[in-house]
Amino acid sequence: MTAHNIVITVLLSLVVLSCWIGSVGMWRMREPMQALHYLSLPACLGSVFLAAAVFVQTGSSQASWKTVIIVCILLAINSVVTHATARAFRTRDLGHWQPRPEDNIERIPKRRGEPA
Amino acid sequence: MNLWLMAGGGVCLSLIPCAFLCLTGKAERRLVGFQMASLVIILALVIFTVAFGRMPFIDIALTAAIMSFGGGIVFARFLEKHL
Repeated sequence: MTAHNIVITVLLSLVVLSCWIGSVGMWRMREPMQALHYLSLPACLGSVFLAAAVFVQTGSSQASWKTVIIVCILLAINSVVTHATARAFRTRDLGHWQPRPEDNIERIPKRRGEPA
Repeated sequence: MNLWLMAGGGVCLSLIPCAFLCLTGKAERRLVGFQMASLVIILALVIFTVAFGRMPFIDIALTAAIMSFGGGIVFARFLEKHL
């Protein structure tokens, strides 16, 4: 087994591991808000390791650069979709998504002259 | 069976918890399961593209990555207002 194969094996194992930890963790969480956090594992870690594995396997090819584009899309989109989904869950529960007084969120006082 | 096919199989096996979550429970949990499944499928498509050596098929994964954004947002908005 060459070093090339070992590197690919390690990277692909990390991809599989991140998918498994994400799926099982999401499944085990009781609240949907908690389960949402596990989306970031395959989207951020798994995709980056996969792009590295494709680069090691195929070199600087069209497929590897397209994989980099896929990684960039997943990194950008996952945060937006997760935020929109969490906001939808909160709106569904409360009827609005703004913080309530009992949420105990620290507020930064506004300076004089700033618009309300 | 090469290494990439084994990795693709391993990634596809992680769809089982997603399927379980999509098929049972509240609507919110089903939506999270759907979003995780779409992520896992994108990764699996890239892995199978390299495994079978058919590089033009990576465009399918690219398209799925772009389309998953619309799907996630539309489902979230629908769940928020109508469901």
